[in-house]
Amino acid sequence: MRRLAVLAAVLALAACGGDDDDQALVVFAASSLSGVADEIDPDAQVVFGGSNDLAAQIRDGADAGVFLSASATPLTELRAKGLVEAPVVFASNRLVIIVPAKNAADITHIVDLTKTGVKLVLGAEGVPIGDYARESLELAGLGAALENVVSLEEDVKGVVGKVALGEADAGIVYATDVATAGDDVLSFPISDHFQPKIRYYAAIVSPGSGAAERYLDGLMGAEGEAALRGAGFLPPPP
Amino acid sequence: MDTLNLTLDHALRSFRLSLELELGRETLALVGPSGAGKSSVLRAIAGLIRPEQGKVTFGAAAWFDSDAGVDLPPERRSVGLVFQEYALFPHLDVRRNVAFGGRGRVDELLERFRISHLAGARPGDLSGGERQRVALARALARDPAVLLLDEPLSALDAHTRGVVRGELAELLAELRLPTLLVTHDFEDAAALADRVGVIVEGRILQLGAAAELLAAPADGFVASFTGANLLHGTAQPGPDGLTEVVLDTGGSAFSTDQAEGRVGLAVYPWEVALARTESADSAVNHVRGDVRSLVTLGNRVRVRVGPLTAEVTAASAERLALAEGERVVASFKATATRLVPLG
Amino acid sequence: MSRLFAILLGAALVIAIVFLALPVLAIFLRVPPGDLVAQLGEERARDALLISLKTSLIAHVFILAVGTPAAYLLANRSFRGRTLVVSLIELPLVLPPAVAGLGLFAAFGRSGLLGSELSALGVEIPFTQVAVVLAICFVASPFYVRSAIAAFEGIDPTLPAAARTLGAGPFRVFARVALPLALGGLGAGSTLAFARGLGEFGATIMFAGSLPGRTQTAPLAIYAAFDEDFDVALALGALLVVISAALLLAVKLVPSWTRSTSPSTTLFAPSASR
Repeated sequence: MRRLAVLAAVLALAACGGDDDDQALVVFAASSLSGVADEIDPDAQVVFGGSNDLAAQIRDGADAGVFLSASATPLTELRAKGLVEAPVVFASNRLVIIVPAKNAADITHIVDLTKTGVKLVLGAEGVPIGDYARESLELAGLGAALENVVSLEEDVKGVVGKVALGEADAGIVYATDVATAGDDVLSFPISDHFQPKIRYYAAIVSPGSGAAERYLDGLMGAEGEAALRGAGFLPPPP
Repeated sequence: MDTLNLTLDHALRSFRLSLELELGRETLALVGPSGAGKSSVLRAIAGLIRPEQGKVTFGAAAWFDSDAGVDLPPERRSVGLVFQEYALFPHLDVRRNVAFGGRGRVDELLERFRISHLAGARPGDLSGGERQRVALARALARDPAVLLLDEPLSALDAHTRGVVRGELAELLAELRLPTLLVTHDFEDAAALADRVGVIVEGRILQLGAAAELLAAPADGFVASFTGANLLHGTAQPGPDGLTEVVLDTGGSAFSTDQAEGRVGLAVYPWEVALARTESADSAVNHVRGDVRSLVTLGNRVRVRVGPLTAEVTAASAERLALAEGERVVASFKATATRLVPLG
Repeated sequence: MSRLFAILLGAALVIAIVFLALPVLAIFLRVPPGDLVAQLGEERARDALLISLKTSLIAHVFILAVGTPAAYLLANRSFRGRTLVVSLIELPLVLPPAVAGLGLFAAFGRSGLLGSELSALGVEIPFTQVAVVLAICFVASPFYVRSAIAAFEGIDPTLPAAARTLGAGPFRVFARVALPLALGGLGAGSTLAFARGLGEFGATIMFAGSLPGRTQTAPLAIYAAFDEDFDVALALGALLVVISAALLLAVKLVPSWTRSTSPSTTLFAPSASR
């Protein structure tokens, strides 16, 4: 009996843990940043996901140090609730059309997305890639393409996945996602006129965390820039 | 007249079932110890098991013929099978159970078996005897050509058994259907059937009227199965044309049967008389021994004396003041002593 | 020492109850019932519920129609490879839903095994309600078939035998004897399968995608609403809890005529191999 009590006490103490600086930094990053966000700080633990999904987790109390979002929207609520520090823009991206390698529907241009019977996959409302894609279609005056949507994914990886499988005819994703999809997809550019202003934001979630500050510095500094450029991200728009 | 003819050759778990039977408008009982293959015979006739080899015909109709590749499914054979535990459908009431085999005669059968008042009851609410009547009614609703009864009395308690046995005997006599019943109790068989067949390890040892089996059991097994005392001994010709048997348990006994060498000596308990002293009556065989046990069965008492079991009236037992440990003399006549081959 | 044991047992039970009940209760406590109902009136929530109920019911009809005879056959016949067949049927139970989704694509997708045949017939399955129904069938049917096999196996074998000696052919034996006697276990399995189908997520989101008004079932809607409109998510979640609880109660109350099978044993009874 006594031994049990002692054991329990030791476990409880261990669980209480030390302060933040002793633990590894947790970074919540938009999925499109995979390959980059984990390069900045090798010791950091990076969690990838849809930006709005990650924001919801932070809202519910997830223990993140830094949040890297693919757009401003997910940060609005967090900022209003004082859950994050002031966000800074650190990168931009371009939208492209991806199609399965076979491209049976013969899609090469954004206009082709309005062809009857095309199976289009986009991000869902509230998911940055979804909002950006819809903005792009609006800019091109191709709102009709939305009739062709067969699935709204919560994550850009979902869009890539469906197209890569060959089940969807086309999807709109970030240019940086094409490389990861490899030979299963072909990509076609979207004209500058139809590109929305894509801004990636970084915000510190736990104030006073030295590791978080260092991470942000790394991201904004020469190293981070090199990593972002290397992965195909564009510099922050003016 | 339609007769059921049966030839079977089928491997069971530890022996081969191998027999031939002819069943006319009579009741035939197959008796034997559990596991002798009796139920398998019924199932083969009903078509629930497929014998390796054999023939089952009823009149001109072939129900099963292994050589000709004929194997009618049970629903196409005109049989009524009453299972040991009755197999009444628990989700149907009595009326629907009986009607399952055929709706035409339901009311008539319910009345005949005196279960009309139970028509709406569920099998779970009935007593053992009532369930048996429902099972019989149900089997007969189909107007079967052959009736098969699997241990019809064994699911009943001792008291109900006696009553039901009498009723069943009456019913069978009334129906005059070719009926085959199996049981492990020779007395039940004797009470219900016209002919009795003793079946052991898949073979019929003896087939005949119950009285025949009692009077002339074919071998030691039949003798002890029909309730006889069976003693072992060595036979040799004796005085006065009798055979003398030197008993393994000691002493000798005499029999009017002729035999030599190793034999089984069979004498039925009810043919053994008890006395305090050896008296000079016509009984030639006397065995002295201590009373080992007394079991009262109604107005009879079974008394175990030495190696023998005797059955006497309760009144006699009282008169003789029989009690355990008392020395008595058991006597039986040479004419009642059967000599049977030992298996 | 035995008193301590009794206390530990009791504590374990209390912990289990609290752990299992708390998330469920929390759903109802976060949103006032009035708001709950109001949220349900919202178009997206209504669409999601309708799609869920419609696809679940259609899937269920198939599951019952195909699963019942299949289970009956498996329960009554032993044949070489029976164990393999039963294992195949139970496979979706242990398959991660996403893998199930991939498998469905691989079989019924455009570039799948049956892809060209289906296209030739003008049938395209992915991203349609048919896909939702297929996904539900795939994940939910093992629950039913397993229970059904156990239910049929639990029938006293002398009863069908008696039925046959009474003149009933194989179909009549099935319909008048086996089915009524297995009904308790069949009902329990059916309820479990329906509940599982109603909550199906992984395979559906992969194979059918998620489009409000077409393929977005209630669980998918909850997932989508989770990030943006938490109250709608809660309302849908609460409703699914109520439906599931009602189904569970229904299982407990279904009468059973079989002697030894009670709903709780057949729900999870493994099928015996003969």
